[in-house]
Amino acid sequence: MSASNKAIRFRENAARAVGDRALRAALSNAAGVFTVKREEAFQSTPLEEWRELASQTRLEVLDDLGAYVDRFSENASKAGARIHRAKDSAEARTIIGGILKERGIQKVVKSKSMISEEVNLNADLLRDGIKVVETDLGEYIIQIAGEHPSHIIVPAIHKDRRQVGRLFAQKLGCEYTENPAALTRIAKKVLRQEFLSAEAGISGANFAVADTGSIVIFTNEGNGRMCTSLPPLHIALTSIEKIVPSLADLPTFIRLLPRSATGQVITSYMSLITGTRKLGEATGASELHIVLLDNGRSEIARGEYREMLKCIRCGACLNACPVYRNVGGHAYDSTYPGPMGIVLTVLFEGMDRGHPLLDATTLCGACADVCPVKVPLPGLLRRLREERVVQGATPKTEQVAMAGFALLAASPKLFRMAQAAVSALWPIARKMATGRGVDYFPVPAKKTLSRRLS
Amino acid sequence: MTRDDIVALFIENAAKAAAEMHRVRSNAELNEVISKTTRGQGPIYCPGMTRKEKAVIIPEGRRSEDSAASTVCIDEALGAIAETGSIVLSSMGGKPVQAGLLAAHHIAIVSSETIFENLDQFFSSWEGMLPTNITLETGPSRTADIELTLTIGVHGPERLSIIVF
Repeated sequence: MSASNKAIRFRENAARAVGDRALRAALSNAAGVFTVKREEAFQSTPLEEWRELASQTRLEVLDDLGAYVDRFSENASKAGARIHRAKDSAEARTIIGGILKERGIQKVVKSKSMISEEVNLNADLLRDGIKVVETDLGEYIIQIAGEHPSHIIVPAIHKDRRQVGRLFAQKLGCEYTENPAALTRIAKKVLRQEFLSAEAGISGANFAVADTGSIVIFTNEGNGRMCTSLPPLHIALTSIEKIVPSLADLPTFIRLLPRSATGQVITSYMSLITGTRKLGEATGASELHIVLLDNGRSEIARGEYREMLKCIRCGACLNACPVYRNVGGHAYDSTYPGPMGIVLTVLFEGMDRGHPLLDATTLCGACADVCPVKVPLPGLLRRLREERVVQGATPKTEQVAMAGFALLAASPKLFRMAQAAVSALWPIARKMATGRGVDYFPVPAKKTLSRRLS
Repeated sequence: MTRDDIVALFIENAAKAAAEMHRVRSNAELNEVISKTTRGQGPIYCPGMTRKEKAVIIPEGRRSEDSAASTVCIDEALGAIAETGSIVLSSMGGKPVQAGLLAAHHIAIVSSETIFENLDQFFSSWEGMLPTNITLETGPSRTADIELTLTIGVHGPERLSIIVF
């Protein structure tokens, strides 16, 4: 998200978030609703069987990612799509900007895509004078507010109805209302005109099917269907690990993704798009470009964090996480928040920038419990914490303290001397540091436990 | 599962997703349902491509040839899936898949023999080059983007009526 390499200020962001009453009310409502709906949706289903199957399928693709990307590309090309491979965000932006500029396109409608957030697409297109209109209601709200998503499924979850009402009144010139249905109607009216006049549509893809070259898109609103078929040009931006081998693998993911994300058996719409409009057809773009983003994924797929790439972006781990539920998505200052977001941010953006997020977890394991594809999130987080120490990314004071402790702990003589020193110096230290947290420490015991027992 | 069981399961699951369900056995019954459910609504678009679409009677002056300007779209789905309560639309044979998305009220006719029991059977039924667009439609368009309050009819239809024939 940010080009800066400066460490994310998670502690400061979290402190601010915790003080925001409207935000906390919104988050606690969302966490409750999502948790209950998810549980209900999986009642009397063979969830464990589905999870295992999904996990195996994801690993099968990751084991041979390069070959699957080739197979998908070949079959999508046969169906009429043009395939572009982007090794990083900058390349993805250049490719998409190039396609649009070459054709003199001035206005694009967009359906929700986290990959487009990852590569920071909109800002680039706007700079080139191309109008980009987000059409998912939540994305539209944050776009006109000039913000970033705070949840990967419900991007405007941090805003309450009054805030949305004020925003619409201010930006769209409509009368203030805080009725969600009325606000939705207002957005629908504005956006319908955009759909019918757009020259191109940009979408993401939830899955890509290697055997058929198809992309799969889930939406509830119908905006995804409009973006991908009303304008003559469709650009789909997705990442390479979204590939599944064949159509036969889709049922398992259809059963897991909407249930995990929103507690639905299936979303209102699920489209399977295969290439461009063929002879005799009346639906489909006449030109389809599929941009496959790597952004480090090929390398991650070969390393010890490969299981992170099983993630299907359902958002269930966000809703289950006690940290996310209290601070919301913006505190993470990264494209992907929550437990999956911490791992992805460190892997995609580097330890220097991402390491403070490694404290944004209690390692309670709730994320792993709800993950539909069995990503071992607590294990990955622990391993990244170890790596943070090895890389020396922890704060200097912590490094010095740990080095000092290691020295003392390795020598019984030094350790006893340190214990005696702490006892002797305690009254002085306490007086000097009153009000700075030291009051919470227990007073050192007169005798150590081992001496009392001996 | 017998055909009747599959039809019953489809009707149950589609109704759970807030689709309005009807069951008819003749062209006369079909048109009776259509006449009732479209009463008082605006222009009606019907592609008139399949045998059952051709049987649809639209009152004088209400037929529209422009799907984007219609209030109601009546078409026949390619099939349906009982497990999820979804109807299946496809671009095969020149069908305008998005016509039912633009109208405020989508009325879909589903032939009972085209209903698949589950997703696995549906996806294994495809062979060779796929049509450009296959869409599963389940209930009306919806969003919960404002405070997770369910709102029906965002970009797509606010009403989905399914007539099993």
